[in-house]
Formats: sequence, C-alpha cells, structure tokens
Amino acid sequence: MPRNPALESHHFEALGTSCSVFGFGISPERLIEGEAWVRRLGARLTRFSPASELSKINDAGGRWVAVSADTEEVLRLSLRAFEMSGGLVNVAVLPSMLAIGYTRTLSDGASPAILGRARPLPALPSVLSVRRGGARLEPGCGIDLGGIAKGWMADRLRERLGINALANLGGDLSAGGPGPSGGGWPVGMAGTTVMLRDQGAATSSVRRRRWAALHHLISPSTGLPAATGLEEVSVVAHTGFDAEVIAKTALLVGPDVAHAFCATHALAWWLSSTRDSAAA
Amino acid sequence: MKAWVLKGGATLLTLAATAASAMYVTAHLKNPSAPLQPTVVSSAQLNSLTITSSVQQSDVMPVTSTYAS
Repeated sequence: MPRNPALESHHFEALGTSCSVFGFGISPERLIEGEAWVRRLGARLTRFSPASELSKINDAGGRWVAVSADTEEVLRLSLRAFEMSGGLVNVAVLPSMLAIGYTRTLSDGASPAILGRARPLPALPSVLSVRRGGARLEPGCGIDLGGIAKGWMADRLRERLGINALANLGGDLSAGGPGPSGGGWPVGMAGTTVMLRDQGAATSSVRRRRWAALHHLISPSTGLPAATGLEEVSVVAHTGFDAEVIAKTALLVGPDVAHAFCATHALAWWLSSTRDSAAA
Repeated sequence: MKAWVLKGGATLLTLAATAASAMYVTAHLKNPSAPLQPTVVSSAQLNSLTITSSVQQSDVMPVTSTYAS
C-alpha cells in the first residue's frame, strides 16, 4: 500500500557551511544522495584543496586545463554574473582574498593580512577563457567561486531532487514546486515568511566571515573589503544563482542605488545598512 | 497591372496592418499598472522588506531561511 507523501528533510555540513534539503513525496535516500552530490561537486570547485579542478586552473600558469561539464558551466555563469553586475561580482578575487588573510577555511583562522598586496580586480572576461571541456586563466590571476557556486549548486540540486523540493546551501536557496501545502515553500527572510515556488533566495552580508576589521566581500575597484554603507542584503529572484548575484551586487553598490537595482532585478528584497546594525 | 491597383492595395495593406497592430497591443497589455521606472530611493526603504506581486507572504512557520554564511 503506497504511503501518503510526507515532508522529508536532511541536514548536513558541507561547503564550509550548514546545508539543508527538503522534499515532499521524495524518499530520504534521495535527499542523502543530494548530500553526496554536493560533496562531490564541492570538492571540484573549492579553492582550499590543491586537487580540485578550480585549484588546477588557478595553478596552471596560463595553460588550458581540462574541466568537467559542471565546472565549465559554473565558470560560464561566473562570466554571466560579471556582466549582470556590471563587473561588481567578479570571481577573479583570489589574490585579494589571500592579501586580506583569507588563505584557508575560516574555521582554521585567518592568516596575517598584507593589504599592500591587494590590487583592483581585473575584468573577468579579459583573464578567464572557457571553451568546451577546458578553461584558462591568465598568469597571476586567481578565482574564488564563493557564493556563485553555492547559488548555482542549489539550483542544480533542487532540479536533481525532484519537482517538489528545496535546497538550502548556506543560505543560498532554490525552491521548486508547490511545497508541502500547495502554496509554495515557506522560507524565512528578514523576520517574516515568504512562499517560494520555482524561485531562489540568497543573503549577502559582511556580518559573517569577518575577522578584525576585515571581511570577505571585496570592492573590485580597490581589491579590499568593501565599505558601502550596507551590511546585509537578502533577495528573492527567479533562481538561486540570480538571487546570489543580485544580493551581492546590491550590497556592493550601496544604499543609494541598491533599492533601485533590486526593484529592477529582484522579486523581493531586504536591505540592512551599517546604521541599522549600529542601532541594533 | 494598373498602377492605381498597386497603390490602393499597398494603402489598404498598410491600414490593415496598423489596425491589427493597434488591436493586438491593446489586447495584450502585460501589466497596465506596472511602473515605468524603479521607485525613488528612500532611506526609509532600508531595513524593510519589499515584496513584489510575484512573492507571497505568509504566517506559516518557515521550514528554513536564507541567511548569511
């Protein structure tokens, strides 16, 4: 006798953060397979492992490197993110990350910063080339996929899980289908609940991954941590990838432009300024 | 074929295309109340949630949330 569909969930630590997957009418085994997929793909895309595909691109000294179809896709989307954001979302940020001391996972602690080494970021399309099955990065440049990879992975994972599922990879969300009750997936955002159906959400913030006076969100014009007056932006968009790019762009453009940018690109948004956090 | 026939046909075709286009765009307005430009920036819009008609709010308990990581 078939069981009635039930809400299944699975929680795990991966990609240096907390992850959750949910499915309605989906077996628990399928959610666990989703975790395994995240770990496999994360191992290819991390900059913290010398064996990853990303590290091989970063270390190739300008030579072409063979990459999997997944890595090729996320690199192409990184170029798209650069275009969408007018150059603000730029994954060629690794030299800046190393300069500010983000040389290893923050659970292992930051290294001493050498801010004098930070340089303005190069235009991504001028240093990254992607072709079928291969990628090439100009010598002296480096890529850190960061939230771009998480947003994209959340979208792909949700598709893999089934038509009525939700993937949350460290706050980068992708929700598909009608959810447990038919009105969408209930997701917390800025203290309220929004119902997401075939949509994504993401939060970009300088309040986490912070040490001393430094944080991981880099201004492309200086190569140093950005100080725009905004500290946190949450966004709902058509996909998790779009939400990630829009949230990060809004945070980097600052409070004077962020609202207009979100009004043009997002389905819902929440902006939190430096002043808000000081008052909190 | 006489020239006046061609001229008349071209005129009729032009008028018909204009009328058909006008009827089509009138019948296919995507959102008559959509703003033509983003709303004006205001400091009051900071620290507040803005939701378009594509997203529904609810008082249901969320299963998860977006957060900074």
